[in-house]
Amino acid sequence: MNPSAARKPLVELRNVSKSFRLESGTDLRVLHSVSLTVDEDEIVAILGPSGSGKSTCLRIMGGLVPPGEGEVFCNQKPLEGVNPGVAMVFQSFALFPWETVYTNIALPLRPLGLTLSEIKARVKKVIDLVGLEGYEEAYPRELSGGMKQRVGVARALVMERPVLFLDEPFSSLDILTADTLRTEMVKIFLDKKTATRSMVLVTHNIEETVSMARRILVMGTNPGHIRREIINDLPYPRDESSAGFRRMVQQVYASITEALMPDVPAPTETSTALARALPKEPPIETLPNVQIVEMIGLLEAVGDHGGKADIFELAHETGKEFGRTLYLVKAAELLDLVETPKQTVLLTDLGRHFVEGDINIRKRMLHELFGSLRIVQMASNLLRKSETLRIPIEELKERVGEWLPAENPEQIIEALVSWGRFAEYFGYNDDAKELYLDVGQETT
Amino acid sequence: MRINLQMRGKFFPQRLFSLGDALVLLVIATAIFGVVSTSNQWRAEFHPATEIDLSAWALPKYTMLSAARGLIAYLISLSFTICVGYIGAKSRLGERLILPALDVLQTIPVLGFLPGLVLGLISLFPNTNMGLELAAILMIVTSQVWNMTFSFYSSVKSIPEEMSEAATMMGLSWYQRLLRLELPFSAVNLAWNSLLSMAGGWFFLTVCEAFTLGDRQFRLPGIGSYMAVAISEGNRTAMALGVAAMTALIIVMDFVIWRPILAWVRRYRIEDVPGAEPIEPLVQMAIRDSRIVRFLKTSFRERRTRKQRKVLDREQARGLGAFQEPLEILSGPKARRLYRSRWWNRIAVFLILTVLGAFLGWGGARLFEILSTLSRGEWTLLLRNTVWTWIRVMLAVVLSTLWAVPVGIWIGTSPRRIRVAQPVIQVLASFPAPMLFPVALFVLFRLGFNFDWASMVLMLLGVQWYVLFNALAGALRIPQELDFALRLMEVPRWERWKTLYLPCVFPSLVTGWVMATGGAWNASIVAEYMVFQGRLYQTGGLGATLTVAAANADFRMLAASLTMMVGVVIAFNRFVWAPIYREAQTRYRMDA
Repeated sequence: MNPSAARKPLVELRNVSKSFRLESGTDLRVLHSVSLTVDEDEIVAILGPSGSGKSTCLRIMGGLVPPGEGEVFCNQKPLEGVNPGVAMVFQSFALFPWETVYTNIALPLRPLGLTLSEIKARVKKVIDLVGLEGYEEAYPRELSGGMKQRVGVARALVMERPVLFLDEPFSSLDILTADTLRTEMVKIFLDKKTATRSMVLVTHNIEETVSMARRILVMGTNPGHIRREIINDLPYPRDESSAGFRRMVQQVYASITEALMPDVPAPTETSTALARALPKEPPIETLPNVQIVEMIGLLEAVGDHGGKADIFELAHETGKEFGRTLYLVKAAELLDLVETPKQTVLLTDLGRHFVEGDINIRKRMLHELFGSLRIVQMASNLLRKSETLRIPIEELKERVGEWLPAENPEQIIEALVSWGRFAEYFGYNDDAKELYLDVGQETT
Repeated sequence: MRINLQMRGKFFPQRLFSLGDALVLLVIATAIFGVVSTSNQWRAEFHPATEIDLSAWALPKYTMLSAARGLIAYLISLSFTICVGYIGAKSRLGERLILPALDVLQTIPVLGFLPGLVLGLISLFPNTNMGLELAAILMIVTSQVWNMTFSFYSSVKSIPEEMSEAATMMGLSWYQRLLRLELPFSAVNLAWNSLLSMAGGWFFLTVCEAFTLGDRQFRLPGIGSYMAVAISEGNRTAMALGVAAMTALIIVMDFVIWRPILAWVRRYRIEDVPGAEPIEPLVQMAIRDSRIVRFLKTSFRERRTRKQRKVLDREQARGLGAFQEPLEILSGPKARRLYRSRWWNRIAVFLILTVLGAFLGWGGARLFEILSTLSRGEWTLLLRNTVWTWIRVMLAVVLSTLWAVPVGIWIGTSPRRIRVAQPVIQVLASFPAPMLFPVALFVLFRLGFNFDWASMVLMLLGVQWYVLFNALAGALRIPQELDFALRLMEVPRWERWKTLYLPCVFPSLVTGWVMATGGAWNASIVAEYMVFQGRLYQTGGLGATLTVAAANADFRMLAASLTMMVGVVIAFNRFVWAPIYREAQTRYRMDA
């Protein structure tokens, strides 16, 4: 099935898990049992929304971060310390501002004990390769973002390592520059003039993965794990306007949607706010940490499409990262303002009413809908039970941690406060660090 | 200073020799001359109390000798900074030991180090002046070094993660990393701190070069001794000459050393590094943060934004062993593998902690023993003196605030005024206030104040700059749009101050207060006890107690008053400034 399965993997993760300890003392699992291989002669993309642990994944493979559990292999040998087969390109470029382009690129050659002429030859080669001739004496601050990242790439290539890690390398560049650099990276990979045999690309840009990668690993969140592997056998160089390319993009979109919003069997087909109030303990919702105002913007965008819109188009239209758009849709769905059959976003009756309403109607509806969420009810019960109708946020955080052990309580609290404030449901005093029920007159 | 000369090859700069190079050479020549003449002093036969020649002709030599002492002290401070700051930033254990140690050390006034250094070093070099010279230099070091160490430590800690990861991926060795990443990254911070440290070193020059210990008088040829003698004799001409020479020294050093260095480190500025905080020169002047401020800052920032990174660091530290880095320095690749095993690490850590614990335990026990010999009456006196000094310190800080905050805001809100004021303030602040004390005393006595009040004013002279600098730095952060908005709304001036300027300045003002109180406690040793015009002036206060105890070689009282001072300063920082600082940082942050 996998044509490279028989080959020897250059880098391999086996059942790697990783947790970070939060300030509250609880462990947040960011990676759960991740296994992946990077074979010779391929570009692998790790695709996922922020918080899916894709960067951590890359750092574990590079030996920058030790795995919590599981094993890391480099050329079939257990990895100790920094991975000797890997060079890395960083999102922020990570150039040394006090070094010139030339000395920045030559920097990784210093530990190798090469002669001056060897260094010169190697640096010149990569400078030619990435098109930095004439810039040797420039300092990074004199360069545009695209040129800076070229230096970053050159600095990685000069190390002549078989695997090149690209950590969101184009996300701080403008679209045109990113496009150009992307094409150049693919060319470097195909030309085989460098030591680079394989690349690992970490990104949240779906088109990017489809234009570059042969294998796309879609990551899911909470905790980060690999949802799916998609083989992308489109021939290089890839034409973004071809039907095959569009189809592949659709396929990846579909699977990332599924990764983030699995069609969990709802208790009833017509899941409305009413149904939620029925007995039989409904599950406690996790609140996506998004701004309500942003969600309203999204609802309006759906409204402009006549109440029905394709989720990819929405992402494209609003210019938001796809993962982010999904969270907004998720938030709207939680409040029963939309439904999401497959990849369509459909305004519910409530949603229609909401979009058409003015700010007061909207606020009133939000107050209602937000109040019907189970997690909100549990929080307000907690508040009512306290004598002062106020509770310290730390205490709430602890309780949320109990209710939703798998989630990061801080993010949920953040969402709870910001939604609650907007819906005029909760108030929050940052000086006292207390949450209180907003009953109109309580202003301090 | 460029280490990669070989790499530059054909990329050599066009101009081989510039005015800057000439200045640098001049400095080097002067430094060499200074060191040579100082070393002549060192080899000279031991004569503890040099006769000081108060004629104008002797001044150039004295000035040069003091300058050499200051520079040698600075070089020692710099070496200490790089070693200790580096270990603190790299090793978890080091960090845990070094930060609290520095915290205590920086509150100890120079007299606290005096007897130990002098007696110890003189007994090491009984026949030459070396011991005494070294003691004086090390005393200057103690008023230079701590803030530099903190600066370097926190710079290294704040290197953006991706830059540090890039260095790791490149396989740079620890010294390549130090030369290529850590030192360049810290350069700007370190340079500004050096400038301020030099000023701090001059502050106690009169004490470091001329002091009494028990029945023995010590005096080294230098401008500090010159001033000390001139002041005690009340020789006005000599005092004026001394002030002029000191001013000249500071201005020359400013032009010949600090300006070139500050211009040179501009190449290491890090404005365009993502994740690194930009540095404005004037803000830099205010960064002589005391340890508590730095601690609060880092812990605060980390808690807010670097939660994950911190955890990551911790995990890495746990995985690799807290002590790996320093051990790597000491060992070859073979030994490294050995040390990497946790077992070795633990034993090493255990041994170090045991030795240290035993040492501290012994020291603590000795201190307790000494303190327990003090009678109840002596303790009451000590407490009363502490309260008096405390009142003076507070008054000095309040008065500094009253004049320095308006002036700081007035200067800081106009770029033109900043341009004019900065070089002037830079020199004024570098001038050691104790040398101006006689002038101040003349005026104050004329105005009918007694020494009790005068010593408070003397303290104020020493610490007002901290408040001014920080008010100025705060004023630079006043958002212009808000100011415009208020002006457009025709909000009256006082309201503007109340609603915008003062809240904006408040966070950095707290920093200024922390520094000023710490400085005022330290300055009390020169402000509360003075020999002036052949007469001894002394007031009830902890500083005077300390000075008298040192002069009489009364180690019981010295230990007791030092303990008192360190305790009071640290307790005040912890329980008063820390909460205020935190409040200031949350409520009056301007980035919201």
